Amino acid sequence: MKSAWRLAVAGMTLATMIAAIWMSLINAPTEAEQGTVQRIFYFHVPCAMVTFCAFGLVAIAGALYLWLGNQIWDDLEYAAAEIGMVFCTLVLVTGSIWAKPIWGTWWTWDSRLTTTFILWLIYAGYLMLRAFGGDTPQVARFAAVVGIFGALDVPLIIVSVRLWRTIHPAVLLTRQNEHGLQDPRMVAALLMSMAAFTLLFVWLLGLRFKTLRLNTRLNSLKREVALWRAAEEGGRA
Amino acid sequence: MAAFSTLLRKDLKLELRTGESTITLIALSMLILLVLVLAFNPAEGHSADLAAGALWIAMIFAGMLGSSRALIAERENGCMLGLLLSPIDCAQIYAAKLAAAFIFMMVAEAASIILLMLFFNLDFGIRLARLLPTVMLGGLGFAAISTLLAAITSRTRAGDLLLPVLVVPVFVPALIAGVKASSAALAGAAISEMAMWLKIMIAFDVLFVVAGYLLFEYVVVED
Repeated sequence: MKSAWRLAVAGMTLATMIAAIWMSLINAPTEAEQGTVQRIFYFHVPCAMVTFCAFGLVAIAGALYLWLGNQIWDDLEYAAAEIGMVFCTLVLVTGSIWAKPIWGTWWTWDSRLTTTFILWLIYAGYLMLRAFGGDTPQVARFAAVVGIFGALDVPLIIVSVRLWRTIHPAVLLTRQNEHGLQDPRMVAALLMSMAAFTLLFVWLLGLRFKTLRLNTRLNSLKREVALWRAAEEGGRA
Repeated sequence: MAAFSTLLRKDLKLELRTGESTITLIALSMLILLVLVLAFNPAEGHSADLAAGALWIAMIFAGMLGSSRALIAERENGCMLGLLLSPIDCAQIYAAKLAAAFIFMMVAEAASIILLMLFFNLDFGIRLARLLPTVMLGGLGFAAISTLLAAITSRTRAGDLLLPVLVVPVFVPALIAGVKASSAALAGAAISEMAMWLKIMIAFDVLFVVAGYLLFEYVVVED
């Protein structure tokens, strides 16, 4: 991504984020039943959306890396996984903050919570593999395989966790209220927030991707220098 | 197919001579069951649910150690390189390793189910037949993912530590279905009550056996 382009995305992120904060915290009316707590929803849902986009991108970029073997896909995959993890953590944290006053507990084994938590665990394993496995093409391939495995697992996790929870009756309320965005200002706030978080994701992804590209380039230059030095020493001897 | 059966025969013969995998798996399952019995002290009434949980905990932990063991042994003797140099499709190697891991797991499972019946005071007979499809489907799915992921971790620094972190979350759908189906089976429910869970396990097995079969090549290839 060229730096002018990146600057434009950064500017748009800032503008939409300020608009989203104003619309969701000030402009949108307070929800009748849940009160002010409901406003966290305008941040929680966009975070969840970004999480799914990021983890989807991990699997797609991973498959392309295995298929084409180009380092660029691996760098994209790694960047998406890291950012996805950050947003997944935010989803769990904002969800907990909302759940305490509304459901009366920080955590419950509701189907959506459980699914998100398991996704978080899968990609935590993925990042641990990358962090502790070493920075080699081999580990990059391994990570791509784990990323694809994780994405394949998602529909099965959703189905099994839902069935697991429907058979055990839910202890707490269902969250039907969430979809009852009665006021158009609420819908507008949500849409603006989604736009802001999507731009934030693109901007962060661009930054991280650039860093990883530079790192790849640095490594290949280092290898070249080492080869050149070895050749020179060989010539001298 | 010839390559597959040769490789599988080799693994089975090796196992018959040493007994390394099956005996360790049985011993481990036994210890895990003992720990669980001591920890939960199964009382009357809840024993079917507890026993189902115990069965799957034993399966996961023993299976994880067994699957990494099988691939490390290949590597220690430089055998993996030989396999890769031989004119065999990588997918065939995966299929053979998966079949071997599945067979060893089933032997260990048979032992732990018998122990389970004794430890948790369940009656033998009809429940065993109902438990069989659940355990076999779960074992196959577990062998499918753990064979592939163990191939990854056996070649990675700090791999032993990473294997459980990678395997367990991916196994969750089959685990949920497996525990539910086995506790129904142990409580004496009919197969039709378990059908929904068995379907999830079949879907899991098909998905990950195929994925493993296709992806194994990228995991074992040497740079």
